[in-house]
Amino acid sequence: MSKLLIVAAVLGVAALVAYPLVVHNAYYIHLLETIMIYAILLFGLDIVVGYTGQVSLGHAGLFGIGSYVAGALFFKLGAPFWIAVPASLVVTAAFGAVLALPALRVTGPYLAMVTLAFGTIIQILINEMTFLTEGPLGIKVPKPTILGHKLGEAEYYYVVMVLMLLSLVVVHRIVRSHLGRAFEALRDSPVACDCMGVSVYRYKVYAFVMSAAMAGLAGALYTHSEEYISPNTYNFELTVLFLLAVIMGGRKTRSGAMLGATIVVLLPSLLADLQLFRILAVASAVIATIAAAALILKKRKTVRQLATPVAGTIGMAIFSYRLENITDWRLTIFGFMTLFMVYYLQDGIVGWFRMQLGRVAPRAARTRELHPEPGKEADAWAPPRKTESGVLLDVRQILMQFGGLKALDQVSLSVATGTIHGLIGPNGSGKSTMMNVLTGIYAPNAGEVVFDGKKISGGTPADIAKSGIARTFQNVQLFGEMTAVENILVGLHHTFRSNWLDVILRTPRCKREEHEARARASSLLDFVGLQSFHDEEARNLPYGKQRLLEIGRALALDPSLILLDEPAAGLTAPDIRELIEIIRKIKEHGMTIILIEHHMDVVMSLCDTVTVLDFGQKIASGKPADIQADPRVVEAYLGDSGDILGAPAPA
Amino acid sequence: MLSVENLHAGYDKTEVLHGISIEVPKGKLVTLIGSNGAGKTTTMRAVSGMIRPRSGRIMLAGNEITGQDSYRIARSGIAHAPEGRRVFPTLSVVDNVRLGAFSRYARARARGDIEADLDRSLALFPRLQDRRNQLAGTLSGGEQQMLAIARALMLNPEVVLLDEPSMGLAPILVEEVFNIIRRLKSEGITMLLVEQFAAAALEVADYGYVLENGRIAVHGTADRLKNDPAVRAAYLGGAH
Repeated sequence: MSKLLIVAAVLGVAALVAYPLVVHNAYYIHLLETIMIYAILLFGLDIVVGYTGQVSLGHAGLFGIGSYVAGALFFKLGAPFWIAVPASLVVTAAFGAVLALPALRVTGPYLAMVTLAFGTIIQILINEMTFLTEGPLGIKVPKPTILGHKLGEAEYYYVVMVLMLLSLVVVHRIVRSHLGRAFEALRDSPVACDCMGVSVYRYKVYAFVMSAAMAGLAGALYTHSEEYISPNTYNFELTVLFLLAVIMGGRKTRSGAMLGATIVVLLPSLLADLQLFRILAVASAVIATIAAAALILKKRKTVRQLATPVAGTIGMAIFSYRLENITDWRLTIFGFMTLFMVYYLQDGIVGWFRMQLGRVAPRAARTRELHPEPGKEADAWAPPRKTESGVLLDVRQILMQFGGLKALDQVSLSVATGTIHGLIGPNGSGKSTMMNVLTGIYAPNAGEVVFDGKKISGGTPADIAKSGIARTFQNVQLFGEMTAVENILVGLHHTFRSNWLDVILRTPRCKREEHEARARASSLLDFVGLQSFHDEEARNLPYGKQRLLEIGRALALDPSLILLDEPAAGLTAPDIRELIEIIRKIKEHGMTIILIEHHMDVVMSLCDTVTVLDFGQKIASGKPADIQADPRVVEAYLGDSGDILGAPAPA
Repeated sequence: MLSVENLHAGYDKTEVLHGISIEVPKGKLVTLIGSNGAGKTTTMRAVSGMIRPRSGRIMLAGNEITGQDSYRIARSGIAHAPEGRRVFPTLSVVDNVRLGAFSRYARARARGDIEADLDRSLALFPRLQDRRNQLAGTLSGGEQQMLAIARALMLNPEVVLLDEPSMGLAPILVEEVFNIIRRLKSEGITMLLVEQFAAAALEVADYGYVLENGRIAVHGTADRLKNDPAVRAAYLGGAH
């Protein structure tokens, strides 16, 4: 953490502690209490929305479950606070797993629909299950009693505060650990995530369960805070409000969640007071104008781009003075503000400030602290896995059909340990299909794949990856929003033994593993020549470098077999020379490589054996020189292009 | 036809192009070469309006188009066949090609011309002709690249930008793509070409620019660049 952040955190906590001592009005204490309860829920919601990139319109439902578990436990059984709260947390987490099931099958608008239905059903159930919930009458719950002492408003405030800070630390530690990186990886590229041995299936469930647990905790606290709960609270508007809070505050930040909570709790009260609204409207108009002027002077934006938002805020300020009565206009104003935020501040308020200050994201700063000495290359490599026979991969009679099309028709392939095996053929001949069969993305219709003596066809991509097969992708599949080093760290996910508890408590084991993984990631980056892009987001890397980063990430899996799908595509001659060197070194470290490539100079200078596919069938297999001379290969694939394209690479 | 003057452009915080100037005369084929990350694709994107230049001027046939929205630039006559092809996967081949002429449909009289152009562009690519009703997403990589070029031609453009047309193609198809480029050139189409096979690109081009770290390092006629030892060593895979 940077010093500034520590100072801010200490000041923040001090202010929270001092608040009830300074402000004695119970209403205002309750207001801040509500903000903190919402913040707990938003920390959790942000895991799903910000980190795993899923939509959830079911969080009001989860919040309701948490509230009612605590409420019913007290009302029916008289359960004490310290039982009711953990019970809410556990029950809601279980419902989170239920909510995760649709998320495993559908995404985007479909997931929104399903989660929306979930939220609605929960609200209806709360209403109907009168034997538990008292239905529309609601449940009255007093402030909790701890050790025979009934808590007052201010005392309960401190309970909420402590739990909020605890949640903040827990969520923060998780999202900054290898678990959090798994969440982000599955957002940016599910297929690559699976192929790095990180099961998308499992981590989506984890994310929803964690998120739901937070909602459950918030719900239970809310019950005792309000002292009365009824089904109406947990409606669709609340769910939208939660989502808005995350987006407005800024996703992937804890400060954003707190800010978002503050806005959604305070806004209705602020919009109730005309005088206050006028002041706010004028202030925002002034800020917008100054910010816009600064941006235009710095030539970061044009006048045309900024005219609308500035005119909008000024219009709002003028409008506020023409208003006689604000209550009629409240929803309209709220709607406009939302529209404005979502349109102009897509990264949320915190995200916007970060960008304006031109500050590097804090995680990058943190990375640099942990940034070890430039590692020796040897550190990057784990000792190669022991393999028994001379044949590492045996592909037997694979048949892969899509509809009537046979993408692979009875193809057999045998790859010897420690060799580079080239796979060439015209576009559409089935090479990439073969890659997808080998890595478990497709299950073949017939035939089997035996890797290192074990049958792997039919296994999940994550399991196959963990058994020692790594790959790169023809259309680069990096985790775009993550930095170069974080991409490699996802590949190193398998080196972590720490569980959730280790991460939350930040045990020595967890710290040591993180440190070692970072050191290795750094030396792997070195190996593929990307040290200077250490903290750059992968999506900002030039295309050729992205391909190299994919190779680095694949190596992080400590594979015994690595599949390279057109690594030289889009690379220029000098970069191709560098690539050839890298592939040679990978081979020297005892790895076996399958190489799909169209650049014949690369294929010819590297491969020990080459197999040629055409229309899903194997038409030739043998030594590179023989293949090059094979008339069928020349006719189907090579053509007579040798003169200008096949410039032989320096050996 | 197309001229770029002192162009600065980039993404977010980083500037990629530090003031480059390029001339593409009418009917000529000009190629940009350079290593990965030198700024070739960024130049193409700035010209077609997919990113907004920070400063500098881009002129098309004497009219300034700097900073205009990409659809306007396309209308005024720059067709971009982007890196990685980007065809519309769920539309048929023939609809993909028709979409290239989208902006021309507004004038009713153009309809007949469009269908004529459609036949003409498909005639250039017999493989597409055979698959005209197939969904574009089911085409192989090589066919998608041809489709992207065919689509670009439907705009009836003044200038065609070809970004890495041979990327990911089998050698036999790379050859075919270069034959197509040659043919377009002989029909007098003005082109700006970015290509990883720099030697092959200089073989078909009239003029070339070498980009290094966002600046023009050398430029000259294709023949001169081909025989420039420094260029050979650095970019043409030079060991022969």
